[in-house]
Amino acid sequence: MKQHLVSTSPVIQAQDLTQSQLLMWAGQTLSPSAPLYNMVLAFKITGSLDVAKFQLAFQALVNGSDSMRIIFQDEAGIPKQTLLSQLEYQLPFMDWSNHDSPIVEYKSWAVKRSQIQLDLSRCGFDSALIKIDTEQYIWYFNQHHLITDAWSVTVLYSKMVELYQAAVTEELTLIPAIPNFSAYLKEEKQRRESEKHLPVRKFWEEKVRSLPSPPRLYGYRGEESTSRSQRVFLDLGQERSHQLRQLAQEADVRSWTPHLSLFNIFATSLFAFLYKVGGQEQVAFGTPAHNRPTPLWKETAGVFIEIFPMAAELSSGDSLGSLLQRVKAESNSFLRYAQTGAASPALSKGFNVILNYIHAAFSDFAGMPMESDWIHPQHCDPRHHLRLQVHDMDASGSIQLHFDLNEAVFNEQQRKVIPQHFLAILDAFINDRSQAIESISIITERETDARKKSNADAFAYKSPHKNIVEALAIQVKANPDHVAIECQGHQHCYKDFERKSNQFAQELVRQGVKPGQRIGIHLRRSPELLLSIWAILKTGACYIPIPPDYPKKRIAYMLEDADVSFLIASKEDLTVDLGQATLVDLATALSQSASQIDQRPKVEIKGKDLAYIMYTSGSTGRPKGVMISHTSLMQYLSWAQALYLDDQPAKIALFSSIAFDLTVTSLFLPLIAGGTSYVYPEPSNGPDLAILDVIRDNQVNFLKLTPSHLALLSDEDLRDSQVRTMIVGGEDFKTELASRIQAVVGSQLSIYNEYGPTEATVGCVIHPYNVEEDHGRSVPIGQASPNMGFYLLDPAGHMVPQGVIGELYLVGQGLAQAYWQRVDLSAERFPLNPFTEQGRMYKTGDLARINHRGQVEYLGRIDDQVKLDGRRIELGEVESIMDDFAGIQQSVVTLHAKSEDQVAEICNCTNCGLPSNYPNVSFDERGICQLCNSFENYQQKVQQYFRTEKDLQALFATTKVPAGTYDCIMLLSGGKDSTYALAQLAEMGLKVLAFTLDNGYISEQAKANIRRVVKALGVDHIFGSTPAMDAIFVDSLQRYNNVCDGCFKTIYTLSIKLALEKKIPYIVTGLSRGQFFETRLTEELFLDDDWDIEAIDQTILEARKAYHRVDDAIKQHLDVSMFEDDEVFEKVRFVDFYRYTDVSLASMYDYLDQRLPWVRPTDTGRSTNCLINQAGIYVHKKEKGFSNYAFPYSWDVRIGHKTREASLDEINEVIDEKTVLEILNEIGYTSHQTGHQTSQQQFIAYYTAEETIDVARLRAHLAKHLPVYMIPGHFIQLDTIPLSPNGKVDRNALPQPSQQDTTTEKEFVAPSGEIEEALASFWTEVLHLSEISANASFIELGGNSLVAIRLMARINETFELGLPVNIIFEQPTVSSMATYIENRIMELLETMD
Amino acid sequence: MNDILIEYIQTNLLAGQSDASLSPEDDLLGSGLVDSLGMIQLLAFIEERFEIKVPPQDMTIENFMSVEAICNYLVRLKAA
Repeated sequence: MKQHLVSTSPVIQAQDLTQSQLLMWAGQTLSPSAPLYNMVLAFKITGSLDVAKFQLAFQALVNGSDSMRIIFQDEAGIPKQTLLSQLEYQLPFMDWSNHDSPIVEYKSWAVKRSQIQLDLSRCGFDSALIKIDTEQYIWYFNQHHLITDAWSVTVLYSKMVELYQAAVTEELTLIPAIPNFSAYLKEEKQRRESEKHLPVRKFWEEKVRSLPSPPRLYGYRGEESTSRSQRVFLDLGQERSHQLRQLAQEADVRSWTPHLSLFNIFATSLFAFLYKVGGQEQVAFGTPAHNRPTPLWKETAGVFIEIFPMAAELSSGDSLGSLLQRVKAESNSFLRYAQTGAASPALSKGFNVILNYIHAAFSDFAGMPMESDWIHPQHCDPRHHLRLQVHDMDASGSIQLHFDLNEAVFNEQQRKVIPQHFLAILDAFINDRSQAIESISIITERETDARKKSNADAFAYKSPHKNIVEALAIQVKANPDHVAIECQGHQHCYKDFERKSNQFAQELVRQGVKPGQRIGIHLRRSPELLLSIWAILKTGACYIPIPPDYPKKRIAYMLEDADVSFLIASKEDLTVDLGQATLVDLATALSQSASQIDQRPKVEIKGKDLAYIMYTSGSTGRPKGVMISHTSLMQYLSWAQALYLDDQPAKIALFSSIAFDLTVTSLFLPLIAGGTSYVYPEPSNGPDLAILDVIRDNQVNFLKLTPSHLALLSDEDLRDSQVRTMIVGGEDFKTELASRIQAVVGSQLSIYNEYGPTEATVGCVIHPYNVEEDHGRSVPIGQASPNMGFYLLDPAGHMVPQGVIGELYLVGQGLAQAYWQRVDLSAERFPLNPFTEQGRMYKTGDLARINHRGQVEYLGRIDDQVKLDGRRIELGEVESIMDDFAGIQQSVVTLHAKSEDQVAEICNCTNCGLPSNYPNVSFDERGICQLCNSFENYQQKVQQYFRTEKDLQALFATTKVPAGTYDCIMLLSGGKDSTYALAQLAEMGLKVLAFTLDNGYISEQAKANIRRVVKALGVDHIFGSTPAMDAIFVDSLQRYNNVCDGCFKTIYTLSIKLALEKKIPYIVTGLSRGQFFETRLTEELFLDDDWDIEAIDQTILEARKAYHRVDDAIKQHLDVSMFEDDEVFEKVRFVDFYRYTDVSLASMYDYLDQRLPWVRPTDTGRSTNCLINQAGIYVHKKEKGFSNYAFPYSWDVRIGHKTREASLDEINEVIDEKTVLEILNEIGYTSHQTGHQTSQQQFIAYYTAEETIDVARLRAHLAKHLPVYMIPGHFIQLDTIPLSPNGKVDRNALPQPSQQDTTTEKEFVAPSGEIEEALASFWTEVLHLSEISANASFIELGGNSLVAIRLMARINETFELGLPVNIIFEQPTVSSMATYIENRIMELLETMD
Repeated sequence: MNDILIEYIQTNLLAGQSDASLSPEDDLLGSGLVDSLGMIQLLAFIEERFEIKVPPQDMTIENFMSVEAICNYLVRLKAA
């Protein structure tokens, strides 16, 4: 039997991986033991197979396809692939036809086998043939995705069929091999590196930049990550598939081919689906381009696919049809640019969803029917939360959908229904593609029925008591002598309280109070307050709290609006006109009530009679009165008692404002539960911080309070607190705060989060805080109270599936009756319940979702979903991440428009002139900036850096150059500094080559100046230039908002080249002293007392090396090959002339005037020589708001080289826009909005902390968790957060950022110490940056998983600790990694002792 | 114009195919000679070569069915 020809392809060693392969490699390395990329197909063949021939054919297949013979190696973190010329593979055969249940056995075998970890260093696939029956075989075939894609499997399958048939007829050798994958590897590499394809790569980079961070599908915001994923199948069926194919042919739907048209339909549906469940208008998914444009590639096996993003932005008016039109264009653009070699790891940041539309199909197997089974290895790349595969690989006519769902992101119930949600959209597409996407409901009936049933139960609840008056009477009877009220040491027992309130009620009746009237209470917290409230209730009237500390206008408004009949107040405290209300003077009424009978007035209180009307303001509009009935109130108190209280008598503090329904709990609960109310009056003036007194007195065991109250307690010593129960309500309750309090007080404290608007009677969704389970940013609000229910609805009023964010609507017996006399508003906020067609709902305006545990999570007001520059920002999220930062007690983040004044009002440092809008500048009381102040401190130390002219002479003396060679190059810009320096060098007798960069914009006068001077000095001179100057300018403007950076770098690069060519050992620069301080001698260098000049010089040199290696326009256009190794920096050294001399400005000008024909140029209008400088300043001012000369000039002023006035004149000068715009046009510059705050909005974070917070570290912390656009622009530390009278944050009282409040910031922290420096060198090398701050996260600096692997390889090589790759994500900054390494080393040393 | 298009298609999109001659009336998409990827490449070539921009709403099967159809369409476009 002749063997199939051994493959003709020779072994090809150590090839680079393609971009796609690299991505997968990185993914696999991060989850090393998960079978993420096993691509397993099982072919069930119905017929009789010749097993031996099949095995032969399989070996022939291996021989004939080089992709199957690929193995992988890891070389110091860089993976390589080798294509072997031979790979022996004896296909295992298992005959289970005589086993009991071969199919069952096969299935369980396949599940296990599909999850094995392939040893890629030996073989990239695993295959077997199983005999189930005489006429049924299964060919099991698993390949790692690194060597195959779906198309490749069909190629191999077809070839296998061919080979099997040939093996049977003994003609194996005639079958040609599959075209070589190695050819594709070559092509991919060439394209990836070719200049020609730069525009394509740039297209994708741009696209990714425009994508927001991927959405939270079904609202999942947990941090859990797993590679486990479940595959859920959905067979669309013949009918639906047929309808879809018909749809794909309609004129407005179809595209080039039926497959593409169908793809577009699925893409559109997926976008709509993600929009509905992800909560973002901008949606994206990744989809593989098959990348086989030619017939040859179509016949080649191996992995070709590259994944590129597709994106869409939906708006509320979109229909599937209108979205489809945009998707068609997006598809075309995808096809255009999704080319071989264009993908990169950066692209995968923009999406967490994959759409895999598979064209490929399998034929039958050599005439025998075949059914394929794509086995899912139960694992998937954890970054792909949802994968939708669409195929009909068996050409059955019925389209198959696979939903691969990540098991951390979606819980079990969700995984069951998600395919149904998607199907709802497909069906909507088929039925009516013109309907608005928002009007499509995706939730299943089963889910809606469950919610409806749960809500129906709420109406069955009954309180054990008719009303609170009855409930009180029961307590009076049970414990007549128990203390009901204690206030400032005075106690009142139940018996007395009942009597007095009865009498007071009788007195009120005598004065004319009738049932149903509204009685205002205008009293401070006191026993008399309680007395009055109960008395009013006993008369059958309702009370309206109008606290004395309210503004007069508000009091007057409430009196009138509520049509108050009587007002109980002390006449001395009365400051307003009562209008039509009658005053009941407290003192008088009390004394008169003493003679009334001890009996309740004979009125029947019905359940729907009002107990109170509480006024709420909301963000806009007039305050409105919320009408709460006795039933609602009693029900609240009953379930609250059952849930919150135990056998111990409740001792509850009354310390918060009575106008706030938060206080209702404290007002009534103690008395109806037989406990004691501890009353804390408010002070007669000043803020109401009674809560602090409550804590210090430590008499109560129960508190009802807001999170802001709780935050105030952070400084108190709570260790011996008697409090056993805290009910927290009124605001979003952050987990960080809850855990802090729980930790300090101890496990005997039960904390409850009680959510509820005033319109639903105090509280209606409650959650007991659980320190083990509650890890989200806010404590969940939990479950509805027994008498209440809720719906979560989308903007169109449909219920949303579990997890998806919706607006919270409340139903149940606790709903307020209405707003007092506001019929329209009541109808609007209390609409009819459409799900039960009777009863009402309350529209809360709050966003919420249900988490995996079935608990409701509060997600903020709809109004607080703010947008900054078009991107959605969740203020609450930013706050909670700030709260996590060590030292921060409470934070509040706001976003609002800049006030006109702020934009205009800029002042300057009284010393150096630095403007107040320079980032992170702050001024002291004398108006002096912090840079001036700190400079005073290190000025002394810094003197040691400077040298004398003698030192300079000595430097040149030691380096002798061969005769005829120049001693040095002098960078001559033509300005005073470089001209003076040149003259000095000449005077020293050195042979100098002067070099000037002609950037195309040097003024004629300046050029003339230069020529004159060099002639007079008798030095040689070169004008250097590059045709790429415009491109360099544009790049510099886009990166740094100036032209000078690009220019400087060009000068350095060209002069170094010149120096190398002519073997000149030194380049002398004319950098001024001011520039030294500005760019090099920063404060940090001198922080330690034992700093070292050598170290500074070395650091400067390292920085220079990295600087020249940055991938920018200069690298692209000039020859920078000489910087690739460090030798160049030994051959050519930089000498800064002004380090060696301390000449004064006056002397310099004198010299220049008298000794040289140097004339200050006047045709540039400034102190520079070049015309394009203006353009740079213009752009900088426009983009950043201040001149780029502001900072360097401030240094010149600070060291006395310039006057403040001269500096201000220049930086405030108005620039001629016309000329500048012409220049910008000439060079081809267009403004590049980078998305940072150039807007008219202010994004500010306020926080309280015990000590001063290092804002730079705080920013780095935020950068770890948030996208860049969600990081606030200003950080303001306050002593306390201002609170409104009801205990909530008073946002209007937060201070505007002014000069005094902006905290100083040390942005750049140079890495220090051996370990940090070593690490920093790796960071700079791998990230291609010029410098690294020790506290900057590598991810923030552009790092990704590939970079992570390379970094860890260097770290492991150097430190030999064998650290796992993932450590880099836990310790992403140089400083934290250094600490970690230090600790590990210490540990090792300790174990060795 | 026919020749330019035929040459491009044969060289770039059909490379590796055994039979050579493509006629102007051949149904490019329907026959499977050119797939959607190929169509887009052809479009890119056309836009560059003839210095025109094809608006998205004109990217239909009718206009690009065959080399002949394409030429007719381009003539109309240039005239407009």
